[in-house]
Amino acid sequence: MDEIKNPINLINKEYKTINLVTFEEWLEDSDKLSKLGIGVILDPSNDVGLIKESLDSIELIVLDFRNFDDGRGYSQAYFLSKRWKFKGEIVGINAHLDQLQFMIRSGITSYQLLESYKGFNEEDYSSGFSICYQAAANNSGLNLKY
Amino acid sequence: MYQYSAQDKQFLVERVDQFEKQLKRHLSGELDEAKFRSLRLRNGLYMELHAHMLRVAIPYGTLSSEQLRALADVADKYDRGFGHFTTRQNIQFNWIQLPEIANLLRDLIDAGLHAIQTSGKATRNITADPLSGLTEGEIEDARPYCELIRRWFNLHPEFSWLPGKFKIAINGAKLDETALRIHDLGLRLVRNEKGELGFRVFVGGGLGAAAMVGAETAAFVPVVDILSYLESSLRIYNLKGRRDHQKKLRIKFLVRELGANEFSRLVDEDWQQTKNDPELKLNLNELESLKKDFALPIEPINLDRFKETVNFNYSIWKKNNVRIHKVSGYSIVNISLTKLGSAPGDATSEQMRILATLADQFSSGEIRTTKRQTIVFPYVRMDQVFDLWKSLEEYDLSSPHQGTLAQIVACPGRDYCDLAKAVSIPIATRVQERFNDMNKLLDIGDLNINISGCENSCAHHHIADIGLLGMQKNGEEYYQITLAGETLRETNIGKKLGPSVSGETIVDAVEDIVNVYIDNRQQEEKFTDVFKRIGITPFKEKVYG
Ligand code: HEM
Ligand code: SF4
Repeated sequence: MDEIKNPINLINKEYKTINLVTFEEWLEDSDKLSKLGIGVILDPSNDVGLIKESLDSIELIVLDFRNFDDGRGYSQAYFLSKRWKFKGEIVGINAHLDQLQFMIRSGITSYQLLESYKGFNEEDYSSGFSICYQAAANNSGLNLKY
Repeated sequence: MYQYSAQDKQFLVERVDQFEKQLKRHLSGELDEAKFRSLRLRNGLYMELHAHMLRVAIPYGTLSSEQLRALADVADKYDRGFGHFTTRQNIQFNWIQLPEIANLLRDLIDAGLHAIQTSGKATRNITADPLSGLTEGEIEDARPYCELIRRWFNLHPEFSWLPGKFKIAINGAKLDETALRIHDLGLRLVRNEKGELGFRVFVGGGLGAAAMVGAETAAFVPVVDILSYLESSLRIYNLKGRRDHQKKLRIKFLVRELGANEFSRLVDEDWQQTKNDPELKLNLNELESLKKDFALPIEPINLDRFKETVNFNYSIWKKNNVRIHKVSGYSIVNISLTKLGSAPGDATSEQMRILATLADQFSSGEIRTTKRQTIVFPYVRMDQVFDLWKSLEEYDLSSPHQGTLAQIVACPGRDYCDLAKAVSIPIATRVQERFNDMNKLLDIGDLNINISGCENSCAHHHIADIGLLGMQKNGEEYYQITLAGETLRETNIGKKLGPSVSGETIVDAVEDIVNVYIDNRQQEEKFTDVFKRIGITPFKEKVYG
């Protein structure tokens, strides 16, 4: 079985520990939280539009990909990255090896794989294609053909 | 004919390599069944009762003779020597061994064939009229648009994990051979008052347990904006579609719950944010180049002095199987694969090779597949139709069934499918046996009978003149009858006749229905027209009376 993680903090790219609050906690108290350099962790069911106005005061956003067939996180990533140009990191957690290419191209900037994928070559799955057929949030330097 | 570039083929190689790795991980226990299922479906691979089934895409139902030969080779090398043409114009192989799948897929690449997104919760193969480009009054050949849209949604990062499968059909012709309003999303090519080309969009159609006709969500989306419009539709579905209820995954349930107006308002709101994004505009240069690739390979010829051969069997076959071409001097020839007792749509590798050879000889090497599971030769010179017929006779492919009720559409049913509630193919056979008099068939004329073995409705029974749906009652096989479904001129879901009928007496019921039609028909009236005029009661009285 996959070991699902529910992190309360994350280390960002600058090796700083960022504390996380849930989407609900953020909505309840965003005025106070926005001064603390905090990250928000979203569930796929959360309406990402509700934090659109406060993106500037969020340090980092965590999207949860635990359910393999639940594709809502990819649209959440798209809104944050391409549509609203969120400046912080967009971290995909509980990620699946076989979905890295989709996550990255949807705008995820870093990810944490589920434990069960330790030891596999991530490169094989995060890229592996020489071409893509659509413009997306991140075209990963691939040749575009459409 | 349009062909994949070296770059496209390289992509197919990479996709197979990736799938092979996933398969290896699965076989060694490193990738669990649930995840592997989701991944294999995206590569067209199903687990069936007896073996694995692979569905290979035939984009918009157009095949070259070379591609048909590649499919024949696969049938021999990896299956038991036959393939099955489906109602969505694809082909399925029913006896595939799991470890061989990667090599099978590699064998198809040279011919530009693949099985990507022929299943799974993503956008599926996009269907077009099998007669695209061939008939008078068509606005435009839909296939270049199908190809551009297919590409865009090929492994689309945002829309590859939708709540359910997503089927798109595009029609540019006068009659709707694609049945676009029973698709998750249907596009009809139209011109606006300024003469500009665009699409009328219908969303939320589908068959199955809750059959629905798609609602119009946009009256006119300009051609260049179609990708962004489709993205917005898929985005709303991806985010709001039901994921909690196994039976409500399709977009039709979302459209029904929100209401078509609210759904289209949400799509429009999203679309306003993206429609001006230059990255999302349809690539018009590529469109022009595809139009050239899909251009008809024939020029009008003058055959005024040509005299048709007189031959009784030929003339019967011709009446049912040959249609007028928009290019003068040419005909469209339909070839029925139907044989008594065999599954509709089944073709042996030998038949495929013969058809490929005949296509080279008589049809510029091109073949089309249709949703009635038949084969079309799109470019046959009028003065060669007789020769083609003689060759078809020789190979036992000259069944004059096409355009008669004997051209039954049936799903695999209980003989092959583990979801089935009842058999389909044996019922088709019994109906064919009952109506085995060609004169009677000709008198009855074109009448669709479609038989599905369960509510998944793979045989599209809701849109047939006579639809049969298999079910179980006290452990026995029964069939629910629906009448007067149609999609060609308008879209109507068939009306339930009454209580379901036992497998034993179902063929009698079909005969009763046909007789009510014949008795009430005025001149050349179609079944649906008779039904509209006289209503359901006479049919009810005859069947249950
Ligand atoms: C024997 C293996 C098959 C299995 C297990 C199977 C399974 C299913 C299932 C579960 C659905 C419903 C999906 C949904 O509504 O979300 C479905 C729909 C469908 N299947 Fe099949 N199928 C099989 C064979 C076929 C064949 C041979 C054809 C073509 C002749 C076909 C054509 C279709 C079509 C067109 C639909 C969509 C109907 C609609 O619009 O709702 N299937 N199938
Ligand atoms: S309609 Fe039902 S029985 Fe027939 S192939 Fe589809 S799932 Fe199987």
